[in-house]
Formats: sequence, C-alpha cells, structure tokens
Amino acid sequence: MSDDIRLEVKHLCKSFGITKAVNDVSFNVRKGTIHALIGENGSGKSTLTNMLTGIYSIDSGEFILDGKKIHPKNQVEANNEGVSIIVQELGTLSGLTVAENIFLGHEDMFVKAGIKNTAAMNRKATELLKKYGFDNIKANKMVDEYNFEDRKLVEIIKATYFHPKVVVIDETTTALSQEGREELYKHMYRIREEGGSVIFISHDLQEVLEMSDDITILRDGQYIDTIRACDVVEEQLKTLMVGREVTGAYYRNDYGDKISDEVVLSVKDVTVPGELKNINFELHKGEILGFGGLSESGMHEIGKAVFGASYDREGEVRLEDGTTINDIPTAIKHSIAYTSKDRDNESVVMNMSIRDNICLPSLNMLGNKLHLQSDRRNKKFANKFAKDISVKMVNTDQFVSQLSGGNKQKVVLARWIGKDSDIVVLDSPTRGIDIKVKQDIYQLMDQMRKNGKSIIMISEELMELIGMCDRIIIMKDGKISGQINRSEEVNEHSLIEMMV
Amino acid sequence: MDATMTSSVKARFAGTDKNRKKLSGTARGYLILIGLVVISWLIFKLITPDNFGSPANMLQYFQASLIAATGAIGFYFVMVMGMFDFSIGANIMLSAIVGCVLATKYNMGYAGLVIGCIVTGALVGLLNGSFYVKLRIPSMIVTTGLALIYESIANYMAGGIEQTLPADMRMFGTMPGDIILAIAAFLVAYLILNYTKIGTYTYAIGSDEYVAKNMGIKVNKYKVLAFVISGAFFGIMAILTISYGSSMVAVTGMSSMSRNFVPTMGCFFGIAFKKYGMPLPAIIIGEFVINIIFFGFIALGAPTAIQDVITGLALLIIITLTTKANKGEIVK
Repeated sequence: MSDDIRLEVKHLCKSFGITKAVNDVSFNVRKGTIHALIGENGSGKSTLTNMLTGIYSIDSGEFILDGKKIHPKNQVEANNEGVSIIVQELGTLSGLTVAENIFLGHEDMFVKAGIKNTAAMNRKATELLKKYGFDNIKANKMVDEYNFEDRKLVEIIKATYFHPKVVVIDETTTALSQEGREELYKHMYRIREEGGSVIFISHDLQEVLEMSDDITILRDGQYIDTIRACDVVEEQLKTLMVGREVTGAYYRNDYGDKISDEVVLSVKDVTVPGELKNINFELHKGEILGFGGLSESGMHEIGKAVFGASYDREGEVRLEDGTTINDIPTAIKHSIAYTSKDRDNESVVMNMSIRDNICLPSLNMLGNKLHLQSDRRNKKFANKFAKDISVKMVNTDQFVSQLSGGNKQKVVLARWIGKDSDIVVLDSPTRGIDIKVKQDIYQLMDQMRKNGKSIIMISEELMELIGMCDRIIIMKDGKISGQINRSEEVNEHSLIEMMV
Repeated sequence: MDATMTSSVKARFAGTDKNRKKLSGTARGYLILIGLVVISWLIFKLITPDNFGSPANMLQYFQASLIAATGAIGFYFVMVMGMFDFSIGANIMLSAIVGCVLATKYNMGYAGLVIGCIVTGALVGLLNGSFYVKLRIPSMIVTTGLALIYESIANYMAGGIEQTLPADMRMFGTMPGDIILAIAAFLVAYLILNYTKIGTYTYAIGSDEYVAKNMGIKVNKYKVLAFVISGAFFGIMAILTISYGSSMVAVTGMSSMSRNFVPTMGCFFGIAFKKYGMPLPAIIIGEFVINIIFFGFIALGAPTAIQDVITGLALLIIITLTTKANKGEIVK
C-alpha cells in the first residue's frame, strides 16, 4: 500500500434531466489500495464509475489517472487507459463463446489480414482460465451454457487479465454466493498486491470495513468524506451515508411470540427436476419463514415453486381454502406476491415507466367497471406506493431503466405492497439496497407480519434471516437439511453447520 | 458480511449436467436436419414413386436450393442482429437486371454479370442499412419503402421489357458453375462469420446492443455492414437466379416480395439451429428440405394454393419440432 495517487477525481458532474446524479465530486484513490465507494441508493456511486469506464459521458470535471487526464468513450477505451469494471448484473453476452466474451473489443490481438485466429484466441483464453483456476469453464463453449456465477468468473478474467491500473467492482458481491464472493475477494487482494487499485462499491458495510483500505462516502450525488477504514466503525459509516444517526431497531427484537396455528399455505412433496427434491413445509398466518443455504442449494427455486413459476414441478402447493397453485396467474389471483433475485430479468420491465411497473399486477383492481384504466388513478396509485418506500425518482413517468439498482428493487417491492398480497415471497429482498432502505424494508416486513400477512424470505444473508424470521429452513442439495426456530441463541454457526 | 464458510469452489466448478448434455449439440443438429431430408423425401417418394426423388431428381432439387441458400446465408447476418429486410425480392430483381444489362447491352460478358449483380446488391444493402441507421425507424418499414423504389428503378432500367441472358452466358445456371459459385459464397460467409471480427460483433449486437456499444463496438457501422453483406449475397443469388431461369421481369407494386419467402425460410433454419453451432449448414440443408417439399408437390400436381398452405404449415411444424425452446427461454 502506498500514498501515491493512482486516480484523481476532480469536480465531476453528471445530470440526467433535472436530477443531478453526481455534483462536483472530488477525491483521490491511492495506488495498491482497495477503495470503497459507499452511499445510499441513488447517491451517485454507479454514475461516477460509469463515467470512469466510459459507459456514461462526463458533463464536467475530469479523471486523472497516473497524472494523465483520461476521458474514455466506451469500455474498450477505458480498458486501453487501464480501467475496467465488473458490473452488478450479467456483463457477458449470450451467443458468444467464453473466449469471445473475454476478448470482446480486443479481437485485434488475434487478427491478421482481417482474419481472426480463433484457435489462438481459444488457446489464450484457456491459458487464462487455467491461471485463474477456473478449469471447468471451457474457452470454446458458448457462455450461455454456464450459470450466473460461472459467467461472473468469466467477467473477472475479462476485467483483470490485462493488469489494469484501476478495477471497478460495482455491487458485484451481492449477486454472488459466498463461494463466488471468496473467489472475487481473492482477486481483489491479488490486484492490490500487484499495485493496482480497486474501487469497490458495496452496501454491505461489514464487508466494506473488512475489505477496504479507504472509504469514500457519497450522499445525494455529493462528496461527503474519504476516511481510512481502520479509523471508523460501522455505525459511523451509517451516519455518514444517511446524514443522521440511524436509530431504532434494525431487525425485529421480539422473541418467544407464538406463531399462529392457522396454516395459510402448505407445500407437499414438491420436486423440481434438477432443483428441488421432496420439499414439505407449511407457512402460518403472520409468520416470516426464512430459507437459507448456499446459492445453488435450491432455495431460490422454492420461491418460484410456491409462485407457480417452476417448470415441470411435481407435488402440491395448496392454500388454506384448498386452491392449488400451479401457475402464476392463479398465484396472483389468490394474493401471492413474488420478487425474484434476478431483478433486471425477472422482476422489473426495464423499458416501462415506474408507474406501469407498479400498477402491472393491480390493473384489474385499478380498472373501472368496464375494465378501462384511468391514467390519473394509476398515477395516484403508483405515486403513493413509490413514495411510501422512498423510490428516488423524478416522477413515476420515469423509465425504470434509468434507476439505480436499489431503486429498481424498491419499485418491485412497491408493486407488491400496492397489491396488498396476503402471502409475499421475497427472494433476496435487500440485495443491492442501502442501509436506510434495508431498515425500512425490515420494518415493513415486521408490520406486514403483525397485520397477519405471511412472508417467505429467501436470503443468502444469514444475519437478516436470523434477525427477521420466525423459523429458518436450511436447504442443501435441493433438500431441506434442517430447521431452526426463532431464538436469541441462534447464530450464524448453527445455520452454517446445516448448510455445508 | 455473511458468515464465512468453508467453500468448495472446485466442487462447484466440476461442471453441470447442462454442459455435458450440450457436448454433442452440432452432431445432434446435423442428425435432425438429415432426418428431415430423409423424411420429406420418403413421404413424397411413397406417394408418387415414379416421378419424384430419383438420384438425378435429388441433384436437381439440391441445385435449385443452392440459389436461395446463397441469399439466405447473407440475410442471416441481418436477422441475427434482430433486423429484417423486406426488399429481398426487389434487390434480387434489380441486381439481376443490372447484371444482365451490363453483360449484354454493354458487352461486359461474365464480368459485367458478376460484378453488376454483386455490386448492385451490396449498394442496395448499403442504402437499406444507411436509411435504417439514419432515419432510426424499424428496418421492416425502411426496407418496405425502399423496395418500391428499387422495383421502379429496375423497371426503368429494363424499359419494361423482360431481360434475357443469352444461352452462352448461363454458366452459373448449370453444373458445375452454379455449385462452384454457391460453394465459394458459403466459404466466404463461413469465413466472415467465424474468422473475422464482423462475425463476433454480429452475435454481440444481436445478443445485447447496449452492452455491445459499451464494449466499443460501433453498432451502427456493423448494422450497415450486415445489410451490405446481405445485399452482396443477394447479388450472388441474383446471378444464380437469372442464370438458372434465363430471364428476369422487372415487376412493380411490391410483386417482387414473392421472392422474399424462400430465402427467409432458409434463414429461419439458420436462426433456429444457431444453438447447435451450425447456422450456415442449417440454412443450406433447410433450403434443400424446402425444395424437396416444393418439388414433391409439383410431382403430385397439387394446385399452387394447396402447395403454399402445406409448405407454410410444414415450415411451422419443422421449426417448432426441431427448435423446442429451453424452459423459461423467451421467444420473440
């Protein structure tokens, strides 16, 4: 670690319409450090790094890398300047091989007289895959053949194989399982040891404190402070991010309450080929039932199975009134809501407005007797729930694609809160959500529980499962491997034993 | 942070069933296509054994299928990017007339025919692509509008008269000329798709235009290029068409659109079999299947309307049965 400056951010500004996403931000990133960039959703973190990596243009201000002003117009130019990025969502392209994805935009290395030497490209990619220890991924295979986590590993190679000076990791860890995170951490340390700098965006403050050397805080697009990680504790970071002390309970603080005997949903012998095997459980009225496990334990499929979204599902999902749930329309009709972990692909409709996204499952309710929709009524409805959950937006006519990751998640939640569903399945509900909104969501869940709503919460965050759930079911290899009831004695280790 | 746990990254990296299953994808694709050839041949052979499906007949069907296949392999570049072209027929007609006029009226012989057709086709592609990119309106609308213009130009150039290629200039209408030209076209397309940046960028833009743009790919440039490549291959198709049929009539009022159908159907095969990693062979064999069905109906003496209905249905059935989408896959 050194005190030499690697990257200077000087008076950077960026606006989207009337929203000032980044407003006169200046700070320095030191050589050989992991430099965290934190802030609430919509604080300008991703906008800033998107300007650094050429995804967005700069309105004013500049980036100075090793004393030289840089102004990349796209990611390839940014790579050529020594800057790369690993994004939160999928950053690889289907229809291309692993090797083509790794070298996309840099094919000229393998082109002679206009002809691409595919064999040489595959050989080089194979070398890199071996070097990184990702031997199971084959360079000449279509990237579509690999799962989300493996595709993220391809992105790690793509972003780091050329030894960039600065690597941006934009909320990537929230999308990864623990194994994936560990793999990413390993490469972050390697980059730091080699003298590179990592700009690390994460909402997990404990992770930020453990991984980072320096931390820069942004709030509402403005620079707040840069501090050494060793000089600060989590509570101080929260205060700096939110602008006031985050008071009150974070998780639930009730213990020993009896769960209602009323079963609102029962799952019997549910099997989904390759995902779940003979799953049985019951969900009670007013209960928060948690599902935990390793990322590929099958827990994420539980949500889909309950919502009627699984393919080739066997077994039975039955409601209290005897209705069996076999498809999504039946689930929604009978007051079941579901938010997917894969937010961009499965939850929000990117090219629709916030209003349309929120109103989508409630259109029947919002229509008049002739089933005609009223713009005014829909707008009022969307406004109410978007504001209740503090979506940072210009107005509800704004396209969801223009929102930050956390705000997209808020739109998804607003949609189901508006629908007033009795059974809510939340898969990774606080993924990419800042500390303040996380607290809001937990309080909202607690309130819903008290109002008699039942919640299935699927999460890779063990602490939130322990803090919020009445019961936690742990999944392993597609089966239930254990169950723990809410108690003050439950800790992460008791869950981990069942997970691995 | 989440609790730390002893991870077994290597175990997860041991490969998935899905990966193992796809190992023989290309072989499976070929098997399906060859199966389709055999089935379609067998059906008509059983119904009309005397005047269908002899080895000589099959060679004739194959030669006929090469014509549309050459256009379809070029069109594949456009379709993979998510665009469409309604000016295929007009392009073939205009290119053939220009080639024929250069070859005969300007006494340029084969050079005039080949260069005239290919350059005209490429120019039409350039116009299609440029208008699409500059006007920023859907490719279907742009090419429909331009097709009317190309038809009128062709009609004007032909002076309203049928353009006939002299018998001594029809080398590409018979063996081995047609096969040599078609094979050369296939090799060029294969080379561009698999061994140049253009091929990679074609798939990248088709997969996610936004990400492709962020990777520094000049999306508009490659879209225009796709239309140019497609146009040039339709130019080659025009050479084969006029050489095989000996003449070309410059029709107007969108009548040229009837020529769109066969190359587009072949292209559907390519798109459908892309996942098996063999789009170009799928186009060639797919066109062969279409021609077997087409000639089968002729052998049966079925009325044109019936032929069209059954050919349309056959296409839907074939594509549906052979390209069953994966669970959860979005089909547009």
